[in-house]
Amino acid sequence: MGLREDLERYREVGEERRQDLAEFIQYGDLGQSRPDSVRVPIKIVDLPEFAYDQRDQGGVGQGDAEEGDPVDAQPQPGDDDGEDGDPGEEGGEHEYYEMDPEEFAQELDERLGLDLEPKGKKVIEETEGDFTDITRSGPTSTLDFERLFKQGLKRKLAMDFDRDYVREALKIDGWGPATVFEWARGENMPVSRAWIDEAYDELPEDEKTAWESFEEMDANTERVDTAQRIRREGIDEVPFRREDERYRYPEIVEEREKNVVVVNIRDVSGSMRQKKRELVERTFTPLDWYLQGKYDNAEFVYIAHDADAWAVERDEFFGIRSGGGTRISSAYELAAELLEEYPWSEWNRYVFAAGDSENSSNDTEEHVIPLMEQIPANLHAYVETQPSGNAINATHAEEVERSFRDAGDVAVAYVSSPDDVVDAIYEILSTEEES
Amino acid sequence: MSRPIHDRIAAQRIAADLEEPVDEAGNLARKFGLDPYEVNYWIVDYDEMNELIAYGGFQRRYPHWRWGMQYDRQQKQGQFLGGKAFEIVNNDSPSHAFLQESNTVSDQKAVITHVEAHADFFANNEWFGMFADRPDAAAMLARHADAIEAFMTDPEIDRGEVEKWIDHVLTLEDNIDQHVPYEPIDTRIDLIDEHDTADVAEQLEELDLSDEVKGQVFTEEWLDAQADDENGTSFPAEPEKDVLGFLRKHGMRYDEDAARADEMADWQKDVLEILRREAYYFAPQKMTKVMNEGWAAFWESAMMTGETFAGDDEFVLYADHMAKVLGSSGLNPYKLGLEIWQYVENSTNRREVVERLLRVEGVTWRNFHDTVDFELVQDLIEPDPVVASVGEHLDELDPEDPRVDADALEAAREARSASERASGEPASREGEIDVETYPWKVLTTEGLAERHYSLTKPQNRGFVSRVSQGELERVSRYMFDEARYDSVEDALADIDYGRGWSRMREIRESHNDVTFLDEFLTQEFVDENEYFTYEYTQSTGDYRVTSTDYTDVKKKLMLQFTNFGKPTVVVEDGNYNNRNELLLAHQYNGVMLDVGQAKDVLKRVFELWGRPVNLKTIVKEFDEHDVEVAKRRDREPEPEEVGRLVRYDGDEVTVEELPWDAVEHLAADDIDYDTKPDEWLA
Repeated sequence: MGLREDLERYREVGEERRQDLAEFIQYGDLGQSRPDSVRVPIKIVDLPEFAYDQRDQGGVGQGDAEEGDPVDAQPQPGDDDGEDGDPGEEGGEHEYYEMDPEEFAQELDERLGLDLEPKGKKVIEETEGDFTDITRSGPTSTLDFERLFKQGLKRKLAMDFDRDYVREALKIDGWGPATVFEWARGENMPVSRAWIDEAYDELPEDEKTAWESFEEMDANTERVDTAQRIRREGIDEVPFRREDERYRYPEIVEEREKNVVVVNIRDVSGSMRQKKRELVERTFTPLDWYLQGKYDNAEFVYIAHDADAWAVERDEFFGIRSGGGTRISSAYELAAELLEEYPWSEWNRYVFAAGDSENSSNDTEEHVIPLMEQIPANLHAYVETQPSGNAINATHAEEVERSFRDAGDVAVAYVSSPDDVVDAIYEILSTEEES
Repeated sequence: MSRPIHDRIAAQRIAADLEEPVDEAGNLARKFGLDPYEVNYWIVDYDEMNELIAYGGFQRRYPHWRWGMQYDRQQKQGQFLGGKAFEIVNNDSPSHAFLQESNTVSDQKAVITHVEAHADFFANNEWFGMFADRPDAAAMLARHADAIEAFMTDPEIDRGEVEKWIDHVLTLEDNIDQHVPYEPIDTRIDLIDEHDTADVAEQLEELDLSDEVKGQVFTEEWLDAQADDENGTSFPAEPEKDVLGFLRKHGMRYDEDAARADEMADWQKDVLEILRREAYYFAPQKMTKVMNEGWAAFWESAMMTGETFAGDDEFVLYADHMAKVLGSSGLNPYKLGLEIWQYVENSTNRREVVERLLRVEGVTWRNFHDTVDFELVQDLIEPDPVVASVGEHLDELDPEDPRVDADALEAAREARSASERASGEPASREGEIDVETYPWKVLTTEGLAERHYSLTKPQNRGFVSRVSQGELERVSRYMFDEARYDSVEDALADIDYGRGWSRMREIRESHNDVTFLDEFLTQEFVDENEYFTYEYTQSTGDYRVTSTDYTDVKKKLMLQFTNFGKPTVVVEDGNYNNRNELLLAHQYNGVMLDVGQAKDVLKRVFELWGRPVNLKTIVKEFDEHDVEVAKRRDREPEPEEVGRLVRYDGDEVTVEELPWDAVEHLAADDIDYDTKPDEWLA
């Protein structure tokens, strides 16, 4: 026994310590995460103890401060149980398991039994692949010299023959140029009649009958094949021909990127109290992570609306609160406009809206539903966040659901407490999967 | 795992370099008036250091995954801090301190000076004395490790069960009565290592002591409760804070197969008592963290910079190291402690000056600021050059001067004349004192107090003049008027330079963090060091600064340090509802407990009680509507305090509302830890 073993036991005990993903989505602190890194709190393996409620406890900080200034929630000393003076141990900072959105999407698939296969849509401009295609002309720098050389070499080899051997053949008594030419061609030697005639003329007269017969010549002369000769003598020159020149150029690869644009629409009107806002954030944030993890390139558009709609940054999106009435169609009008930048032929699109289902009269029927039909998307979803059950006038979700009952690309989910969030996410994501 | 200082070659080389600093730090600490335990220094490598830290400063602990967790954290932290573990020293006599092989010499010196001060605190603080006058901690913890390892390897006992049992008990490790000395619950625990006869005597002592305890433990009341469950006796008569002790006495285990409570197995009782004893052993360290760390940092600084214990080249590194230690974010006990000690030193010294000045003819608390020339005062309290720069004035020092160590002076003078004869070679012979390197050696504690006098340090100039009218009045009220001085010069010639340090030594003997903060945290301190309180505000949904008033800062700090910073939970009834159920009660001080965690704790307490367990508490609730309204008005909603009974019956946790009169006795009516300004409240 010893510390090694303690460490192993700790790892075993802590193996399952990452907070269950569903629990994290529903109740966890989503605010610690960044778009590119989802931070799931690690369940503190440490033993429970009677402790103060951290919020109720407050604390002491140091620095120049005025009453009312916001303070980063400071870790409390004494959270650690270092029994001796171990410096730097102050503050039982929470531990997080960091996962990138890809891992998050994968884990969520596993957790919820989903399997969304994103479609590659946009053709990213023709990327140049390897220089594998060839052409007969081109800049010198792309000349395939290796090929040129090989062709030249082949040509050279094809034209080559054992000149000495043929000369010896001309010395056979009774063989003249005509006989030799016939014989050589029979031996597949690429020799011309002109060369033979010339060689015969160059032979001294007395040598023209040096050999009694072919057999005698063959027995006394070493016939050297081309490969051996090149090895022995080298190549003086390789005949390059223009017709052998080839120029390489890159293969054009048409790559399709799995890209997505996600439109998050939120009702920020007066009726959207804190609890409703939190439920929207809990539902939308994991959806954003999930889609970001699934697609190569994800872009997000945030639209806030009351009776009018306007685009906002993500940071503000979940916090905004305005007065005013509600006209949901205003958001869809804006969405349609903003989505022009993301043509349907090239982008996967998700349009998620959330609110408490309150809408101005007839707006749903007359404007929103037609707009939803007009905006092509992989998925339209409406998330109703209504913590206290249904309000009388809040019928938007139901109307949408009724109209699109048979459509495979519209999901409606109801979230009345954090407990419902995971089901809602499942409902939304599984709708597309089935379609 | 680690080896004594002379064991390895690398370690030996380091040890040789450090032998002199170790000896001299001990000498210097004693010259400063400290009285530390002897310290044994060990040289360890990085991994060993992390192991030691994980084990709370000891080489052997019982097997448990939590050490692994601490090791893991320590390593991760090490990566952040560049692999620097600063110091670890344990409360034992002799103390053991560990030096990391790879640290620079200046780091090692800092650790050594720091450690000597800790060893002084261990030896002299009364709270440490409560566990044992001279704890034989390393041996005790090793015996505990042996005992628990033996249970784990016992084929009759399921190892997993032992681990679980340890977990259950550790959940309550802070639920002891740390303000009374440790008493073992019974004598049956036999932790004596058969091969370790040296400990037998001590063990027997423990047995003797425990026989008396036995009488206390097996009171009639207890026997009644045991003998007859039907008679409806509630016990204990008074709420019991030592929940672990109570469970050791009256707890049972839950036998899952039989679905009933059964007597704890012997090993279970032993493990419980072992862990309880360790909880008592470590309690003083937890109770004095601010004081103890501040004390060590204070004397470390006095030695390292005040007596240039760090060489010139090492000083920069040392300053860097201090900046790292003190500069870490959040509330830092080192820093808080150091600042309070410095404040105690300065304010005590100032009081001495003020008392002298108030006796000068014509000076009263009313006209003090107008009549006293603070520039003059500052010049007059400047330490005598003779003690401030000993080397230059060696010949002028008088052996009869109480500030001078006569023997050392003689040795220093001999060394100097010897070195003059030997044409400038430094004195290094046995018994000779090199006054250039160690000027403090020729001074006494009194001399050093003057040499290190706090009020003339650059950062404290002006501290005297900042004395408040109120303080002047208070001081003058308690002054006897007999001796008067004719002039400021005469008055200040009589200053007792040692008063600050001697007050500090008194405080380190009797205080713990709670009393320390309570007594010495003043508005002046809070202003100078810019402390503030913060609270969670419902209207903004985040933490906001609420106050810079010292009473508020004190309240919040007290909350963090009282009862280990944990809510007080006591045993109210061991026969609750006349059904042998356990009733715990949270003594509510205005801050609610973490109910979620409390439920998990109850599940574990059930395993130690064997029967249903209950917890009475008070929670704060906010009406949603009130919160909304308050937000709109930018005000804080008023919570409603409600009684709750959290119960675990072995199957499920239930929470039920209690009428106010059932919890009223738990609610503190005079303590209010809320520091929100009144005008914030709705």
